[in-house]
Amino acid sequence: MSVTANCPNCGAPIQFLWSSAVQTVCPFCKSILVRRDVNLERVGAVADLPQDGSPIQIATEGVYRNHSFVVVGRILYEYGEGGWNEWHIVLNDGSSGWLSDAQAEYAVSFLTPMAGLPPADRVAPGQQYRWNGVVYEVICVTRARYRGVEGELPFEYWDKSDVIFADLESRDARFATLDYSDPQPLLFTGETVDCDALRLKNLRQFEGW
Amino acid sequence: MSAPAQPPQVKALNCPNCAAPLTIRGFEHTLTVVCPNCLSVLDAKDPNFAILEKFQAKQRVEPLIPLGTRGKWRGDPWEVIGFQVRTIMADGVPYSWSEYLLFNPFKGFRYLTEYQGHWNDVTVLRTLPEVAMSSGNRIARVLGQTFRHFQTAEAETTFVLGEFPWRVHAGERARVMDFVAPPRMLSSEQTESETVWSLGEYTAGARIWEAFQLPGKPPRPVGVFENQPSPYTGSVKQIWLLCLFLLLSLLSVSQLFLIFDRQEKVFEHSYDFKPGATQEASFVTPEFDLKGRTSTVEVEISTDIANNWAYFNLALINTETGQALDFGREVSYYYGRDSDGSWSEGGPHTTALVPSVPPGRYYLRVEPERDPAASGMRYGIVIRRDVPSMMFLWIAALLLVIPPAFVTFRAMGFETTRWRESDYAPSGGGGD
Amino acid sequence: MRHPIYLIYGLLLLGMVTLAEYRGWTFTSVNELKNVPKSVRDNPGAYRSHYMYYARHVGGK
Repeated sequence: MSVTANCPNCGAPIQFLWSSAVQTVCPFCKSILVRRDVNLERVGAVADLPQDGSPIQIATEGVYRNHSFVVVGRILYEYGEGGWNEWHIVLNDGSSGWLSDAQAEYAVSFLTPMAGLPPADRVAPGQQYRWNGVVYEVICVTRARYRGVEGELPFEYWDKSDVIFADLESRDARFATLDYSDPQPLLFTGETVDCDALRLKNLRQFEGW
Repeated sequence: MSAPAQPPQVKALNCPNCAAPLTIRGFEHTLTVVCPNCLSVLDAKDPNFAILEKFQAKQRVEPLIPLGTRGKWRGDPWEVIGFQVRTIMADGVPYSWSEYLLFNPFKGFRYLTEYQGHWNDVTVLRTLPEVAMSSGNRIARVLGQTFRHFQTAEAETTFVLGEFPWRVHAGERARVMDFVAPPRMLSSEQTESETVWSLGEYTAGARIWEAFQLPGKPPRPVGVFENQPSPYTGSVKQIWLLCLFLLLSLLSVSQLFLIFDRQEKVFEHSYDFKPGATQEASFVTPEFDLKGRTSTVEVEISTDIANNWAYFNLALINTETGQALDFGREVSYYYGRDSDGSWSEGGPHTTALVPSVPPGRYYLRVEPERDPAASGMRYGIVIRRDVPSMMFLWIAALLLVIPPAFVTFRAMGFETTRWRESDYAPSGGGGD
Repeated sequence: MRHPIYLIYGLLLLGMVTLAEYRGWTFTSVNELKNVPKSVRDNPGAYRSHYMYYARHVGGK
C-alpha cells in the first residue's frame, strides 16, 4: 500500500512503502519530513550517512518467522568500536519491528511496553531482568552517537545527541534492547537471528562479491 | 527510494609509515589494519590512516592461509582478512595458537583457529550459556548441550596481521575459558568491557586445505586437542555389545554340550593301597564299554591322603585294537596351622579328561606310587564317558574379552591424553 | 556395523570351541601307544608306559 506525496522542500515525489510511517527522509534533498495529517512538514535535514558495511539497504526483503518483511527505514549509530544499524522493517501483517545489524550479526525485536524499566544510570552488565516470563542478562551498555536516519520510521527521530543502549541476551537466543533516546526508556524484545534464516533478498552489491 | 549508490569498493592505499601498498577488504567494517610490510597498526577510520602503534613482534609469523585467500566454507564464499597469534603461559611455558578472521559481506564474520595442526571452525554465540557445577565438575550448558570445563587462562595477543572489525592493541589481554563437548568447544573471552562467547567445531585440516585450495598438505596434528573427537566414540559400546552377543552364544554352545553329552558313568570302584608296597602295585580294571562318538573319557580319583602325596600312572587300553592311551596324575595334599592361621595346599582328589577316545571295549591299567614311608591310602576311581571340557569355554571367553578390553584401554588412553593438557591434569596444569 | 573383524574372530572361536567339544579334545596330554599285547590284561606289570621325557616321579612337597 503506497501513499504518494510531494516533498515540501524540493517537490520530489515521495512514495511511502508503509502507510503508517510517521517520518521519512526525502531521498533527493535529504530533508527530514514528518507526517502531519495530510501534509508533510520539513523539520530538518540529515547529513550524508557515512559509508558502512551493511549488506542491507532500503527495500531489502526477508522472512521472519513465516512473515515476509520489507526494510523501509534505518537509524545509524556509531560508538567507539564501530557502528550499527537499526533497520526499520514492516512485516506483511502491517506490524513494525527492528532488525538490528552490527557487523552482520542480526537480531529482530519489537517495541514491548513494560513498566519498571531501569534508568540509564542504573543499568549495568551482569544484571538480570525478567520480562514476560523470560530472564535476560545485560551483556553490554553502550554510549552511542546518533549519526543519521534514512527512509520511513514509526516515530519522530532526528538530531539526537549521544544515546545510551543496553543489550541483553537470554539463555535461549532471545534478545532485548533498552533504548534511552527519550526521557522514558523503551524496551525492545525479540531474538538473535541467523543470517540464512532471514532469507534476505535485494541486498547491496559489494565489489568482488 | 534512495538513489542508487555505488557498491562499496575494496580500498587500496599506501602505508603512511613505509609506503608499502595495502588493501582493505572488509569494507567499512574494518577498524584496524596492519601494514604487512612494517607491521604498523593503522586506524582504518582515519582519513590519513593514522599509525596507532608500531607492532613490535618478536617474531614475524606467516599465516598458513595467506591473507586474501577465498574459499568455499559451508556453502558460502569466505575471505581470510585477518590473522592473529595468541599466547598463554602455563607453568612458565608459552603456548601459542593462531586465529584466522574470515569475512563475507552478507554473512559477517567467522574464525578458524589452529594449534599444532588441530583446527576449529568458530562462530560467535549470541545466546548466554549457563555455567554451573555438576557432581564436582564445572560445566556450561547452552542450546541443550553440556560442556565440561577444560581450561581457564589469560591470553595475550602477540602478533597481528591484516584487518579487524575492532581496535587491536599490542599485548591485548583477555581471560579465556574453554568448555568442551567433543567435537564442540564453548569458549568465553572476557575483557574489562564485555564477555563474548563462541562455539567451535573441530575440523580436519584437510577440509580447510580443500576449501581454500591451499597447496601442499595441512600440518600434522600433534597430540590430542581439547575438543578433538575420539575415534573410539561409540566403538567401545559396540564392541562390548558384540562381545556380549558372542559370550551368550558361547554359553548356548556350552549348554548344548552339557545337555547332549552322555556323561555316563561306566566304572566305579574303591581300592586300598597298602603301605610299603611300591613295586608291582599295578592292576587293571574290569572291561567296560565306551559308547557313542569319539569323545572324552573322564577319570576321577578321590583319595583320603593327608599331608602326603600319591602318583597314579594310568593307561586306557582298547581290548580290540590294542591301543593304549597313557597318562598320569599326581595327588598331593598338605595342611596345617601356623601363626597366620590354618593353611592348606593341594587337594586329595584329581581328575583327568582323556581326549578323543574312539568307542569300543576298554579297561584301565592303574599303577599307583607313594612315598615308601607313607601310611595306607584308600582311593576310589570313577570313569565317565563323554564329559564336556570346560577349559575350552573359559579360554574362548577370555579370548573374546581381550579385544574389547584392548579397545576400551585405548579409548581411555585417548581421553587421558586429552585431559593431560587441561587444568585438571594430575600435575596441576598444562598448556593449551 | 563396526568391528567386523572382531565378529569374524568371535564366530571362528565359537566354531573352534564347537569342533573341540564335538571331537572330544581336551588339554590332557596323553601318550598314544599301539599294539599293547592282550597278555597285559592278565599281567599288568608287564606293561611299561613309554613316556618320552618322564622320569620316575619322586614327588613330595
